[in-house]
Amino acid sequence: MPPICNQNPNLDIFPDVLTGTLRMDAYRLADVEAVLPRLRTGDPEAQEALFRAFEAPVYSLARRICRTTEDAEDVVQETFIEVFKSIGQFRGQGSIWGWVRTVASSKALMRLRRNKYRDTDDLVDDVAPMKREDPALRMDLEAALERLSETSRAVVWLHDVEGYTHEEIAGMMDRTVSFSKSQLARAHARLRKWLGEEAIA
Amino acid sequence: MTHLSMEQLLATREPGLEPQVRNWRDHIEICPVCRAELDRLDQRVARLRALPGLRPSRDLFEAVRLKAAADRRAKQGRRVLLGGLALAASVTLAAVMINGRQDHRTLVAADPELAEMMSQSKGLEQALSGFDQDRQVVDGRAVAVTSSLEDQLARVDQQLEAVGMLEAEARQARMIKLWRERVGLLDALVDVHLTGARYVGF
Repeated sequence: MPPICNQNPNLDIFPDVLTGTLRMDAYRLADVEAVLPRLRTGDPEAQEALFRAFEAPVYSLARRICRTTEDAEDVVQETFIEVFKSIGQFRGQGSIWGWVRTVASSKALMRLRRNKYRDTDDLVDDVAPMKREDPALRMDLEAALERLSETSRAVVWLHDVEGYTHEEIAGMMDRTVSFSKSQLARAHARLRKWLGEEAIA
Repeated sequence: MTHLSMEQLLATREPGLEPQVRNWRDHIEICPVCRAELDRLDQRVARLRALPGLRPSRDLFEAVRLKAAADRRAKQGRRVLLGGLALAASVTLAAVMINGRQDHRTLVAADPELAEMMSQSKGLEQALSGFDQDRQVVDGRAVAVTSSLEDQLARVDQQLEAVGMLEAEARQARMIKLWRERVGLLDALVDVHLTGARYVGF
């Protein structure tokens, strides 16, 4: 039986659905058409192939949205359990990664709501103002992203990196389109400040 | 000159040709400050997209495999339970017919409401059996609701079995009450399954 998981990334399989770095990181499913029927029967080998193909992008998405690695790992597990359970619902419209990503986004946002994280960006901003004029004190992008509130970071990641529209984000978060837009603007204003771009302006 | 806000700058990056957004785009063409701000915004987004991918520190597949297998077993258990409920309903009906002092057809014919309840119950059971349990994704709350409804249904069926012992008049009133209750529970079960199906319809 030919292997259904190939560790060499093949950019032709999912050309438009993975972001740059994730695409480079992702394993590929050698033959999606062959794997899907096996997934529907609960074949453990096919399940592992799907898991290995997408665990990295799912974890990245979850880790960018959730506060802790433990939460992100839980989201990965919940996502694949859900995917294996509901694979019969996937009709092959759109890419399988698009579908897995939607499940992962929903799970990550659910975890945010469940944990009722306290938004901390206002507090931190007040306590530790940036010295804009000193480039050495500028945050790097990772740190600035981490510093955003969970909600703002989720909107930034889903919109700017994963490519969801404000309408889609509003639907997933059970909020309004205006909420998504204002969160994105607020987040970018903060990133601009924390990254020291105000000084440049 | 008034410069664009962050929200306005972001709006110019969205698809769409609303007059307001067109005006903001026109403004960017002639305003070097807003042009530079938009460039920085584009660069920031590009840098976000270029952030390295992350990987979990441990292999999570074994945990996923075990949980998926456990869920599959639980689903099969629920399917057996639903099948059992349908069988119990048939047995109950048979028991009522055998134990009753009045012929079933006479009883049903004498009370159109009872006939209607039985017919609805049968229709809902057929609807329930039409749901493919393996294709249902049910969250934790839905599982709890389903279990509770199935328990209540089993209790109603037990009570229906005992109805045959009653006198004719009391039996008819009791049967109508229990069949009505049965229809309500089956209806709720169908609702849970339909909601589950919508839940996965991303």
